[in-house]
Amino acid sequence: MRAPAAFKASPVSPRLGLRERRDRVELWTETVGSEPAVYGERWARVDGRSFRGFEPSRSKLAAALSRGWTGPVPLAGERWLYLGAASGTTASHVADLLGPAGRLYAVERSVRPFARLVAVAERWPNLLPLLGDAKEPERYGDVVPIVDGIYADIAQPDQVTIVLANAAIFLRSAGGAVTMALKTSSMGRERTGPVHLRAAEEALSADLVLAASVRLDPQYRSHYLVGGRRAGARPAAVPPSHPRSPPSRSGPFGRRFPRPRR
Amino acid sequence: MRATLVVARGTSVYLVSGPSAVREFPGARDGPFTADRPGRGAPAELPPALLRALGQTDRAAPLVACGETLCRQLAAGLDRPVRRADAAAWHAALEALPLPDPVAERELVLARARAGLEAALRSPEEVLVTLAREEERLERSVGREERAAEAFLALPGTVLAEHAHAWERTRGVLAAHHRDLVARLEAEARRTVPNLSAVVGPRTAARLVAVAGGAAPLARISSSRLQLLGSRRRPSPERGPRYGAIYLADGTDDVPPDRRAAYARSVAALAAIAVRADVWTHRDVSGELVRRRDARRDRLRRRRR
Repeated sequence: MRAPAAFKASPVSPRLGLRERRDRVELWTETVGSEPAVYGERWARVDGRSFRGFEPSRSKLAAALSRGWTGPVPLAGERWLYLGAASGTTASHVADLLGPAGRLYAVERSVRPFARLVAVAERWPNLLPLLGDAKEPERYGDVVPIVDGIYADIAQPDQVTIVLANAAIFLRSAGGAVTMALKTSSMGRERTGPVHLRAAEEALSADLVLAASVRLDPQYRSHYLVGGRRAGARPAAVPPSHPRSPPSRSGPFGRRFPRPRR
Repeated sequence: MRATLVVARGTSVYLVSGPSAVREFPGARDGPFTADRPGRGAPAELPPALLRALGQTDRAAPLVACGETLCRQLAAGLDRPVRRADAAAWHAALEALPLPDPVAERELVLARARAGLEAALRSPEEVLVTLAREEERLERSVGREERAAEAFLALPGTVLAEHAHAWERTRGVLAAHHRDLVARLEAEARRTVPNLSAVVGPRTAARLVAVAGGAAPLARISSSRLQLLGSRRRPSPERGPRYGAIYLADGTDDVPPDRRAAYARSVAALAAIAVRADVWTHRDVSGELVRRRDARRDRLRRRRR
């Protein structure tokens, strides 16, 4: 077995490790939890620190980071609210980025993925699972305090409205961050993805100063990562952008279905 | 005149009368969120000290509470109108609150998550979904073992024959386990979705509910989607699938193979009516639906193409 290559701290966050490969830059997050792996990801131990592989093919946040996402990223010590945590694949990495002093309040509506999320939370001391619908923030409003950021991955027709409603209650008014994976195909087929994106950006910019959106094709078809911060004092220095790796032509297993020809 | 904001968080209730004026009223240690009340937005019982303190405040000043349950409890305890906080008021209250104690917070949230999970999984619908998925998995493994056993050459007088004998006994146990499971599943399906079970058969009904993720989601599905539910192929205008789980419905075997798609279409229409009756009206409509299903089956058997 080859000796593991050294990790370089990303300029985005010291908890995000970079490993240079021949053709790309791998992302790793310094873990807060304990083994076994949550979804079969790689683990590596370097200088007494444990890292977990953060694959762009498994997480929209990783895909956006490897494509030069300049918007808000969870930073160590912050409190974030995660809407649509599912079984905890991305949520565990967000919890890693927040570090042991941070807190992640992860909301999920469906029961079966939530069972797996609770199992992850038992091993991740900073991950707090909440069974509830992101459309009803009152239901978990008695547990969630003011948060520094909201990460949302809810494929709903009214996903932007849901995120804004949550931000209105829970998001810190000075410098609070929102990062959301926008699935345009669940917003209706009568308009194209870029049109939906523009509408979403317009709605979000009423509350936030937006960063440049990142298109997540081809791994996540018709998805974008959208987000920004509220005006006001920020908790830390503005993180510079992540070094880009060249975009791949297709997902890791090639295209699963041929695109319809137009 | 400044409004007094009341907000519940964790096991405590807080009274916020200004950005820095916050008073905490601790509730019972494990009172608010126990297994039978996973997360209703307020403690089971309000701390008496809170009610006393609120009784002393100016009655003319508006009293605003965050959350529906808390509003109702306060209105009942104080005999005085309580306004429900909008998002801005709630946000102001949360910004004034101190950060929660990390250890107590984690304990509380995890306990609540486990309790909520158990309550959700205990509902008859979820039990049916779990059973149906187990049955499908077990059916596959029974079939796999049978096929492997058929291909296995057990030479008499060798250790292979001994192995085959032991294997046969194991398969018998597995098959019996599967039969028991099917019986349990069918009984559960007849209880949870009686009309649907009558129209398509209890096992198919359970599979349909499992694929849709519950009876209520199934009741919202159109009959054309219900027909394809559980199909592994993608719907397409040219060569799409004609049936999914509904292929296993009662009566499909009696219809000639080239008329089964027509039968699936008709049964799907009846099944959509049946499951809506099961979920919303709770009326027994099975007699009429079964009569229509059988009439359709007989017509399809007689018809020549």
